[in-house]
Amino acid sequence: MIEWLHPGFIFILGALLIPFLKGKWQKAYLLLLPIAAFISLRYMTTGLFWRIPFLGGEYELVFGRVDKLSLVFAYVFVIASFCMMLYALHVKRSGEHVAAFLYVGGTLGVVFAGDLYTLSIFVELMAISSMFLIGYRGTSSAFAAGLRYIMVHIFAGVCLLAGIIIHVQATGSIAFNVIGLNNFASYLILTGFLINAAVPPLHAWLSDSYPEATITGAVFLTAFTTKSAIYVLIRGFPGAEILMWLGAIMAMYGVIFAVLENDIRRLLAYHIISQVGYMVCGVGIGTWIAINGSAAHAFCHILYKALLFMGAGAVIEVTGRSKLTELGGIYKYMPLTFWLYMIGSFSISGFPLFNGFVSKTMVVQASALTHQPIVWLLLEGASIGTFLHTGLKLPWGVWFATEKPVCEAREPPKNMLAAMGITAFLCTLLGVYPKILYDMLPYPVEFVPYTASHVIGISQLLLFTFVAFWILRGMLRGEPTITLDTDWFYRIGMKKFIWFCQKPVLNFAKAVDNGLMKVANFFVWFSRNPTAATNITVNTMAYVTLKPFNPAYKQYERNLEEMKKRYPGEPVHRVAVGTGLLLALIFFSIYLVIYFVYGVV
Amino acid sequence: MEISKFGILSVFLAVSVLVEVLIRFFHLADMHAAFLWEEVPGFSAIYGFIGCILLIVVSKALGHHWLQKEEDYYEKH
Repeated sequence: MIEWLHPGFIFILGALLIPFLKGKWQKAYLLLLPIAAFISLRYMTTGLFWRIPFLGGEYELVFGRVDKLSLVFAYVFVIASFCMMLYALHVKRSGEHVAAFLYVGGTLGVVFAGDLYTLSIFVELMAISSMFLIGYRGTSSAFAAGLRYIMVHIFAGVCLLAGIIIHVQATGSIAFNVIGLNNFASYLILTGFLINAAVPPLHAWLSDSYPEATITGAVFLTAFTTKSAIYVLIRGFPGAEILMWLGAIMAMYGVIFAVLENDIRRLLAYHIISQVGYMVCGVGIGTWIAINGSAAHAFCHILYKALLFMGAGAVIEVTGRSKLTELGGIYKYMPLTFWLYMIGSFSISGFPLFNGFVSKTMVVQASALTHQPIVWLLLEGASIGTFLHTGLKLPWGVWFATEKPVCEAREPPKNMLAAMGITAFLCTLLGVYPKILYDMLPYPVEFVPYTASHVIGISQLLLFTFVAFWILRGMLRGEPTITLDTDWFYRIGMKKFIWFCQKPVLNFAKAVDNGLMKVANFFVWFSRNPTAATNITVNTMAYVTLKPFNPAYKQYERNLEEMKKRYPGEPVHRVAVGTGLLLALIFFSIYLVIYFVYGVV
Repeated sequence: MEISKFGILSVFLAVSVLVEVLIRFFHLADMHAAFLWEEVPGFSAIYGFIGCILLIVVSKALGHHWLQKEEDYYEKH
């Protein structure tokens, strides 16, 4: 029996065969790969596998580091990839499926990486393959967003690689374990993953690019880049206090920006940032319950965020519109999508009986136990905003809000509904029976989610949020605007930089070029008839210096013009004795200077 | 849809107030408070209500006075 099979390679190598299959066979194959990966996960035991000596045995690459932490992330990635591929089954272009599975495979490579080089290679694979999921949309704004996306991720990859190299120089080992925030290299590595986790101010790529992606591709995008970064943060930087503050601020940041959003997927993208804030905060708190909470929240978030994007994607698929200002009143056409979407929004808000409740409360409780009141307030406050947008503003704006439906709609294709149904079922299953999830978490779980205080607390919070929403719902209609975010700096900054290169820098280069050409041209002109040229030059100099003093030089000026026109004239020109003498004197004085300076004959 | 929604809402509101009163004053369930403010009855309700209003008002102000621009902002600049 094979000792171990890397599920990431099942996806990566399997993806290469996709374009060769057609029709029913391709669809069956697409669903088979995640199932095969899931089976390989069931048979896994903890340990280190696929270890390869590297660079002459000095280092060791570890492709398969299996322990509870990597397994819990691997499970959710594989389960989610099945649901997402079911959602995307109707897509005809094989390239999109290949990109999606390379993306999933790369993420699994990151999760099981036991050394830093393997980690960085799979991070790069993830970045490149996910860019295609954006570009395949085909619109010019998608291409532009995809370009900005890959620029940001190349920057992140370079930060990461630089940090790894410095780290390896300093420690002599490429093993990927706790790194901790102690030197410049660790900050570089952290920056690479803060970008991937979309931590403000480095987060703008997410809200910029995810709404531009294909309908099915966006569902894939929500899960893998950000959560694999969370995995790396848990593995490498547990307990780093700055992460706690960044996470808490992040949770509120996403929610504040989402109030202003008009595009439904951009609104949900800001909520990704908000929820990942809970996870980053949990990593920062660092206690067992906090790390468990981060991992559990990542697990649940992948499922319910996929469901939310599936629902929003279904709306875009059937109406062709993604803006709240252009949608409304389509409930009667697609009630099933609405209710499946609402399961996702109840989950993200942390309603009891759904999976968000069992994971979010864990992180919040962790902040309470470590006596961090500001963090607790920020996280609870983010819950208010989360429910407000995903559970109230968006569904109300899309499915209700107007008396008559704004446009034609219908339920999306059956595979999309089936995918949403399965995901919704999983969300509810984990909500009512959290033990399945808790047994997978890295540390032993003593936390009990269904206590009176938790249930009553969150129910009151959300109920009264609804009341406030109902009173202020007029203020929450979409507005046809975009919101500036930190990507303003590089979007406008880059334009200014390119303008600077094209105008000032280029003009300067042209001026230098012209100046040099003028000098060269003078020498060419001079060489045609040096005696005549000297004559002209001397007379021009005399004319220029003496002109202000004697206005009757008009005749002289005409003679000068005449001379210039007749140039080069006959090869030998009769000149005054003085000109010849001048030439000889110039020659001898140059020789004298050289003699004195260099002392050479 | 309008009338039935309000009906359900008022039921929920009534139930939550009732539950809060019962729990607080008759100690029917174990509610351990980690922070000072959790002792206040109905804290989560107040926080939810005020928090929501504050969030909407502050975010809208931030948007209207600074961050929101017309849709073709990046093409024009």
